Amino acid sequence: MAAAATSRWLGFRCRLCLKLRGQRASPCGQIPCCRFYSGSATLPKVEGTNITGIEEVVIPRKKTWDKVAVLQALASTVSRDPTAAPYAFQDDPYLIPASSMESRLFLLAKKSGENAAKFIINLHPKYFQKDIAEPHIPCLMPEYFEPQIEDISEAALKERIKLKKVKASVDMFDQLLQAGTTVSLETSNSLLDLLCYYGDREPSTDNHFQQSGKSEELVKDTGENDKKSKKADDQFGVTWRAKNNAERIFALIPEKNSYSYCTMIRGMVKHRALVQALNLYAELLNNRLKADVYTFNALIEATALNMNEKSEDKWNNILELLKQMAAQKVKPNLQTFNTILKCLRRFQAFGRLPALQTFREMKAIGIGEYVSWCPSLEGTTDKTSLLSHSAENPSKGSSRIIYDIMNEITGQKFTPKDPDDDMFFQSAMRVCSFLRDLELAYQVHGLLNTGDNWKFIGPDHRRNFYYSKFFSLLCLMEQIDVTLKWYKDLVPSVFFPRSQTLIDLLQALDVANRLEVIPQIWKDSKEYGHTFRSDLKEEILMLMARDQHPPELQVAFADCAADIKSTYESQDARQTAPDWPANSLNCIAVLFLRAGRTQEAWKMLGLFRKHNKIPGNKLLNEFMDSAKASNSPAQAIEVVKLAGAFSLPICEGLTQRVMADFAISQEQKEALGNLTSLTSDSDSDSDSDISEGI
Amino acid sequence: MLCQRKTKNNVQRYFGTNNTICSKKDEQPASMHEISKETESQESVKENTKKDLLGIIKGMKIELSTVNVQTTKPSSTRQLKSVEATINKLQKAPGDAPKKRTKSLSPELVAAASAIADFLPFDKQTTKSELLRQLQQHEEVSKAQKNGGRAKISVSNIISDMKVAKSATIRVSTRPVHQIQFDEGSDDYMSQKTSDVKKSLRKNMLKGKRLNIFDLKAVTEETSETETTPSLWDIEFAKQLAAVNEQPLQNGFAEMIQWTKDGKLWEFPINNEAGFDDEGSEFHEHIFLDIHLKDFPKQGPIRHFMELVTCGLSKNPYLSVKQKIEHIEWFRNYFNEKQDILKENGIEFN
Repeated sequence: MAAAATSRWLGFRCRLCLKLRGQRASPCGQIPCCRFYSGSATLPKVEGTNITGIEEVVIPRKKTWDKVAVLQALASTVSRDPTAAPYAFQDDPYLIPASSMESRLFLLAKKSGENAAKFIINLHPKYFQKDIAEPHIPCLMPEYFEPQIEDISEAALKERIKLKKVKASVDMFDQLLQAGTTVSLETSNSLLDLLCYYGDREPSTDNHFQQSGKSEELVKDTGENDKKSKKADDQFGVTWRAKNNAERIFALIPEKNSYSYCTMIRGMVKHRALVQALNLYAELLNNRLKADVYTFNALIEATALNMNEKSEDKWNNILELLKQMAAQKVKPNLQTFNTILKCLRRFQAFGRLPALQTFREMKAIGIGEYVSWCPSLEGTTDKTSLLSHSAENPSKGSSRIIYDIMNEITGQKFTPKDPDDDMFFQSAMRVCSFLRDLELAYQVHGLLNTGDNWKFIGPDHRRNFYYSKFFSLLCLMEQIDVTLKWYKDLVPSVFFPRSQTLIDLLQALDVANRLEVIPQIWKDSKEYGHTFRSDLKEEILMLMARDQHPPELQVAFADCAADIKSTYESQDARQTAPDWPANSLNCIAVLFLRAGRTQEAWKMLGLFRKHNKIPGNKLLNEFMDSAKASNSPAQAIEVVKLAGAFSLPICEGLTQRVMADFAISQEQKEALGNLTSLTSDSDSDSDSDISEGI
Repeated sequence: MLCQRKTKNNVQRYFGTNNTICSKKDEQPASMHEISKETESQESVKENTKKDLLGIIKGMKIELSTVNVQTTKPSSTRQLKSVEATINKLQKAPGDAPKKRTKSLSPELVAAASAIADFLPFDKQTTKSELLRQLQQHEEVSKAQKNGGRAKISVSNIISDMKVAKSATIRVSTRPVHQIQFDEGSDDYMSQKTSDVKKSLRKNMLKGKRLNIFDLKAVTEETSETETTPSLWDIEFAKQLAAVNEQPLQNGFAEMIQWTKDGKLWEFPINNEAGFDDEGSEFHEHIFLDIHLKDFPKQGPIRHFMELVTCGLSKNPYLSVKQKIEHIEWFRNYFNEKQDILKENGIEFN
């Protein structure tokens, strides 16, 4: 690959040289020199007399590079480093996040810092006038959001519209009308745009800042900077009020054109005044005007959202609108079909066939080629996977459309065409996971790594979802070595696993009999913020304690168990979660015993008493084994005593073992005799509480 | 074959946590071997010892009728009189046999098998019956061996093997969805079926009936759209689109690209023309201004003066090319106006 690129480059350079040489050669052949020398005025004259015609020197055009071309070439040489944190987090090593929560906080903090600085600069522009940069850097200078034109004129109105001052624009419009000035149709239409887009409300101030998902969340968090939180501006928050300024101004415009109608309809649909929108469309038709494609898109949405109709009627209405589009020769665009598909998703089972037909229609008329299919695919796959979930269709055929779509779009590079484009990979992976098709998942992942497609994975939570599903599928279907390789590659540089993902990995390890990796997994999960996840801890302990292992592995397991034990202890101090589960106690004790850490294991027995949990039979037997190994009848009797204290049925068996295996004194025998008599009394009621334990 | 192996692997892996079922995998080859032996023997029985077969079928009939009682199948089964009728009935009601077969297995095993079947990405019923069949065969083989290795052919084996031929042909033609399948080649069949389904769906899903509202010609037809300034709707939509593939920066160079776009960084390649925009005029137009002196005399003091002017202009970065040319024009006009003075002093200016 690299060699090919190099040779191509060389080839290109050679051709360039030849071309240059050729260009230079032609004039040089005829005229040895034809440059004008300043100060030597005689020279051209002499030449000019000798040779009949002087040929113009063709100066080669300067090669202009795109300003980022060099940087792009350099950036393409840098690949992801799976051992390092993502570039965005590389700041102070202390601050590098180790869990998804921390990474979110990190990004929010960074963004909020930027926004705060920007806010201050824009709030007090007079303190930030010094321009020290040469050449001038406009984006570092304060922006002016206050209108500069004071007098009443159409220019002033235009400026207020541009600055998105809703109320000021309306006032200016009224003043102009009172003064008897007629406002041009174009300006009134752009005023209508403003009013309709924001539903006759002032846009929230953060509109002037960089808009992204993160900053929106941030604005919600730090609401005191803004008079109005972003939430209130949500399209469901602002409703279309009857007789608002938009409607009033719309009525005031003397000669409305189709654009005025269209923007009104779009505004009404955006702010959920569906019936009014449909009525206005009828009015538009009555005035013999034509709607544009965006308006039809809005109308389709309005039809689908209309509450009072059945799915079938809605679908017929949508078809009717589409036919009108075709009749009026309005070209549908991608959003038309995406709107339809999104609406059909709400129709549940009824929407399946129409969705497929719509999809085929898109393909037949070649809307946006295949690249732009990703949003439509999103609509379809999501719906169909939902379908097969709900209907429990055994053939699962409905999800299979993804195979066809993948065949079409594999190897393509996406460009954003629809606001929902970033849903594609998430839903494709969900379908893979639902179908349990690893090959398809690899295909989807390959598509993600084609070109710049990775940018379409969406915000943090979508990326986490995608990779969690992908990795769970790997744990389930892939060989363990490959899975571990993926684990090393993806965690933590791409995503932080959830505890369920880690449990999946543990189960895969168990299946492949690679339990020796478990201590490492525990270390990782501590790092990624799962220290207090008791389900994860119990799974780890259970897997470690289930079977006997070679001694060195047992030592490693015991270290790990000690570590887990310490987390339980610190948990006690926090007083948050419920106390020790009996299973964990059992497993830790067993692991200590097997690693030969007898002292700690005996201490564990004390914990059983303290937390009023019952040790399992297997554990007690193992204790007896260890007592025998160290040949200490006192310990053996201690075990029996413990069993007696909990009134366990195994007590009798243990007593007999002590009698048989150990050389015990008379006193000890008597003590044992007492114990057994005690337990046999309470035997009847102890049966019920032995359900716990190994 | 690949697919078949994969399926088996899956089965083993899902059950790795469960020690009891793990043992199943070791027995698989043995039981498979059994099957082929049994099929062979079944054929020989069919052809050579008709008497034995009759006896077996009689036994079968009894079992079948008990099943029928339980499952409340059509009562006609009870009225069966001839052996042939029984066979026909058997072939027609494929659902009965497996019920009988599963009966002898413990309910835990059946539950476990159906659990796997739920888990696997294939036909639930097929998987379940396959699993149960393996277990069943194992159980029966061990029973037979317990009975002193007597070459007794189990009734259910015959039933199942008789089904092989029949049900396979049925399925190829009609492909019933819920039919329980338990033939040897079922794994191969499964993979074949999946690819079949994929193929047929590709035809169905992307190349089927469409809405037929829009015409390809009308849509692709180029219409001369009047250039309008983007409305607020367009701008906001573009902003939304830009936010779609906004991702945290991947490396330092990407960050520098961002800064370049913001205008915070000197643009690459770095030269002394940063921030210098002269309507696309190029370097040579700024430097080589002699070309504009054509109208001036070729020699003499005016020429000399003008060369000094162009030399100065060529070193001035603050004027645009247009301004420089205007500057030279001004001198031309000036000398034109002063023609008479020039003539008086014997200086030629044409």
